[in-house]
Amino acid sequence: MTDTQTRTSAATEAILVSRRAVDPNWRKLAARRARGRSRPKALLKHALLIVTGLLMLYPVLWLVVSSLRPTDEIFRNPGLVISNLEFSNYTDGWTTLSSPFSVFLLNSVLVVLGCIVGNLVSCSMAAYAFARLNFSGKKWWFVIMLTTIMLPIHVIIVPQYILFSQLGWVNTFIPLILPKILATDAFFVFLMVQFIRGIPRELDEAARLDGCGHPRIFAQVILPLMVPALATTAIFTFIWTWNDFFSQLLYLTKPEMYTVPLALRAFMDATSSTSWGPLFAMSVVSLVPIFLVFLFGQRFLIAGISTTGGK
Amino acid sequence: MKRITTRGARRSRRAAGFIAIAASAALVLSSCAGGTAAPAGDAPELSDEPVTLRFTWWGNDARTANTEAVIAAFEAENPNITIEPQFTDWAGYWDKLATETAANDTPDIIQMDEKYISTYGGRGALLDLNDAGVDLADFPESALDSGTLDDALYGIPVGLTSYSILANPTLLAAAGVELPDDETWTWDDFQKAGAAVSAAGGGSVYGAQSWGFEDGGLNNWARQHGDALYNDKGEVVIKPETLTSWWEYLLAITEEGVTPPVTATIEKQAGGLAESFTATNTAAFGTWWNSQLTALTEASGSPLQLLRIPTIDDAEEGSAFYKSSMYWSVSARTEHPAEAALFLDFMLNTEEAADLLLTERGVPANEKIRAYLTPKLSETDQEVVAFLDELADVVGEAPPITPPGGSAIEALVKQYTEQVLFGQATPSEAAAGFIKDLTASIDAA
Amino acid sequence: MSALGELRSIGTKKVKGGSKAKTENKAAYLFLLPWFLGLGVITVGPMLASLYLSFTKYTLLSPPEFIGIDNFIRMIGDERLHNSLGVTFMYVFVSVPVQLGLALALAVVLNRGLSGLSFYRSVFYLPSLLGSSVAIAVLWKQVFGGQGLVNVLLGFFGIEGRGWISDPSTALSTLIILNVWTFGAPMVIFLAGLRQIPQMYLEAAEVDGATKWQRFFRVVLPLLTPIIFFNLVLQIIHAFQSFTQAFIISGGTGGPADSTLFYTLYLYNRGFANFDMGYAAAMAWFLLVIIGIFTAINFWASKYWVFYDD
Repeated sequence: MTDTQTRTSAATEAILVSRRAVDPNWRKLAARRARGRSRPKALLKHALLIVTGLLMLYPVLWLVVSSLRPTDEIFRNPGLVISNLEFSNYTDGWTTLSSPFSVFLLNSVLVVLGCIVGNLVSCSMAAYAFARLNFSGKKWWFVIMLTTIMLPIHVIIVPQYILFSQLGWVNTFIPLILPKILATDAFFVFLMVQFIRGIPRELDEAARLDGCGHPRIFAQVILPLMVPALATTAIFTFIWTWNDFFSQLLYLTKPEMYTVPLALRAFMDATSSTSWGPLFAMSVVSLVPIFLVFLFGQRFLIAGISTTGGK
Repeated sequence: MKRITTRGARRSRRAAGFIAIAASAALVLSSCAGGTAAPAGDAPELSDEPVTLRFTWWGNDARTANTEAVIAAFEAENPNITIEPQFTDWAGYWDKLATETAANDTPDIIQMDEKYISTYGGRGALLDLNDAGVDLADFPESALDSGTLDDALYGIPVGLTSYSILANPTLLAAAGVELPDDETWTWDDFQKAGAAVSAAGGGSVYGAQSWGFEDGGLNNWARQHGDALYNDKGEVVIKPETLTSWWEYLLAITEEGVTPPVTATIEKQAGGLAESFTATNTAAFGTWWNSQLTALTEASGSPLQLLRIPTIDDAEEGSAFYKSSMYWSVSARTEHPAEAALFLDFMLNTEEAADLLLTERGVPANEKIRAYLTPKLSETDQEVVAFLDELADVVGEAPPITPPGGSAIEALVKQYTEQVLFGQATPSEAAAGFIKDLTASIDAA
Repeated sequence: MSALGELRSIGTKKVKGGSKAKTENKAAYLFLLPWFLGLGVITVGPMLASLYLSFTKYTLLSPPEFIGIDNFIRMIGDERLHNSLGVTFMYVFVSVPVQLGLALALAVVLNRGLSGLSFYRSVFYLPSLLGSSVAIAVLWKQVFGGQGLVNVLLGFFGIEGRGWISDPSTALSTLIILNVWTFGAPMVIFLAGLRQIPQMYLEAAEVDGATKWQRFFRVVLPLLTPIIFFNLVLQIIHAFQSFTQAFIISGGTGGPADSTLFYTLYLYNRGFANFDMGYAAAMAWFLLVIIGIFTAINFWASKYWVFYDD
């Protein structure tokens, strides 16, 4: 913080204190402010927000509606009202590629589950050590951990690819899941560290007096208390892994191993632009899980990015 | 999952070796590559055990259908061999083959293109097929040469094809343009005829589909100007003037409206053959490999006429050439070289396979098979063969083989053509940039 | 506190705990075992390996061959690379400020005691969850295509559209719009930050007779600067690494005329399509340096505009 800023803040503080002392009206003023502003203005604001919101969601809504339309109508009708309900896009799209779309959904689910379990276990362990234990070099390890949050994947992807391919792991899910089991998503370690720091130390101390070692304190005291952080981690892992394209593009080359994003891309390449309908339908299918997670996990998502600043 | 268990032994050995040195990144790297040389020595023997071969190709639905039919016929004759097909479109094919090769997971049998044969063959990724057990007696020497690098036959040519124009007589007639005489026509004639069609087409039909987006057209232009992309040593030797004149011509016909607006061309490209201007009956002329006649006739639903490529006034003699449309290659790491050769032999040398494959992959390079097949072909396929046969007196030698790294030409041609047509680079700037980039790419390979 | 705040505070003061407490090395290393393994095998090992590779010619099909700094010399003369840097800078330095500005503006509007806050927040937040998916890239490709939604809408107003994605002068803009569209995530962070501003500061200012705008610029904005800084750093790092959307929308080519050839896309094409792995590794390290420099500049400049209330 610069000197000027320090001084400004000191001055504000001084004004605050003095005003409160001498001005009997400050409470009234504050109350007036809290009651809010004139009705028309608020309405205008709502209108503005609704228009902005609609504008933002319009493409997505149109995607959903178009997936229920015959393809030739997609190119003519920008509206959101369906006149000819058409489910054939879904049935066609489901079987267009060499495997039915359920295979890709299942693959994605397997990868996502592996990543969630990996992140939950390994990140919480690392977070416990950083938040609660004293060990030599802790400060520097912590700095390194924080720095890796910002590391671009490209700088490690080439050797990582060579390594995994030499191990014969291309076209398996291991290259996608193993990094999570090894706590490389430092963002979540940090999120959990923050959370554990907020848990009163008295609880560990009590457990320690009862003769518990660290594994038991971790498993029986800390873990149950950090369920919100675990939930946030699980939800973010779900969304990021479900959307992830780059690493899946590299490691999964066999159609039967494709995850949803790869299948969509293959779909786009394999069919000419005449089949937007089925392509849209499968796009919608691929977005549904994210939407559901968003719907039910919103509380954790908002809390997660509010407290630590997500992506 | 099945593959993982059958190859488990190899993997775990590799894994053990790897873990031992995992700590040292440098060691990891030096241990990763190498060991790619083709196994030498005894001719492989056929096994009685169940054998699975992976077979990969690029192509459209028609190709998938005929290839799967051939596989079924082969499997019926050889019940212990299973062929596992794997196919993608052209764009995804090479990324995938590259990553699979890097991962020691190359498919056993590979459909190969001229632009990639030295990249893979020269690095030991492909098996020398000279004594592998495939009968090569009926293949002309010149065709086999095009798949040979340092005396090793890395790819057996499947079919021959030649660069050509596909004209739509219906569209020409509607515009009142006569079908040109393709033995004498020049690029000027082409431009004039195209302009007339565009003028009559009123924005929905164009004279010609733009063809500056792939290297076939460039190669052809270079040969007409007595030039070539590469020399025998694999160096980039094309003259900047040749490239400049090519882009100047493309720019001229685009600005004149002979070809559709560039943005429309770019959008259509994503849709492949089925979306092309030729297939949708919206351009009177289009450049294609002549073996694509049947597919395009089907797609467009209208009769199409094969024409020779226009020339410049004083074009080099023998500028046309027979291109091997594609090759069959076998991975150097295959565990079943004998069975792979058996399958290639079936596809290349049996009448049974020829009946199924027809000319979809080009007119068979195998002369005996070609003679057998010709009378049985459909009308359009017979036209394809006749076109090639008639060309015989004007074709010259095939151009030198593309050096490793030369496959980058595809992306470069597209990118520089786009820059020229969007006015971001002049033809001569594009020529200089193109040569520089292509050279760098080859040096780096 | 954000990760950046944490880094900053480690840089400026002693971490609590210190030497007095007894160390629990054994237990700690046990808990950190997965993380240490990951750091070595997945992160640092490959990083060093890629540093080594950047000095080699390596085509995957034959062993790496040491060539000194040739790759870096090639980069100096590689115009496609320069172009891809230009494209990336354009993308980063247009889309990030616009995105953050929009996020801040909406956060401020939402924070003013409006009813239905959580509803609006959800609506604005949803796109940032969807934005990086292939499905949305597919949608974008249609929406901005020659016969796409945008042109249909323009047609109603009698305006003739164009192929937004197939025209090099507009293709990048469609990607910028896509990134701006995901302003919801930073908006939520801003909202949380606004919530933490003590009401009494605002009240004090109001009592002082400060206008609404003065209150915003003199009180709210300074108190929000740490969060703006945090968002700025993260979004810049994030934008530098964008890949999926450009890859899908351009069909992997970065076209037309390289107008959407992001640095990462060029790196991918060099490494994984042309098998020029040594060069790709050199490019990756250069990217790391660029991101490092911009992050350092950000940290340095933050001294002059970020206000830490501690």
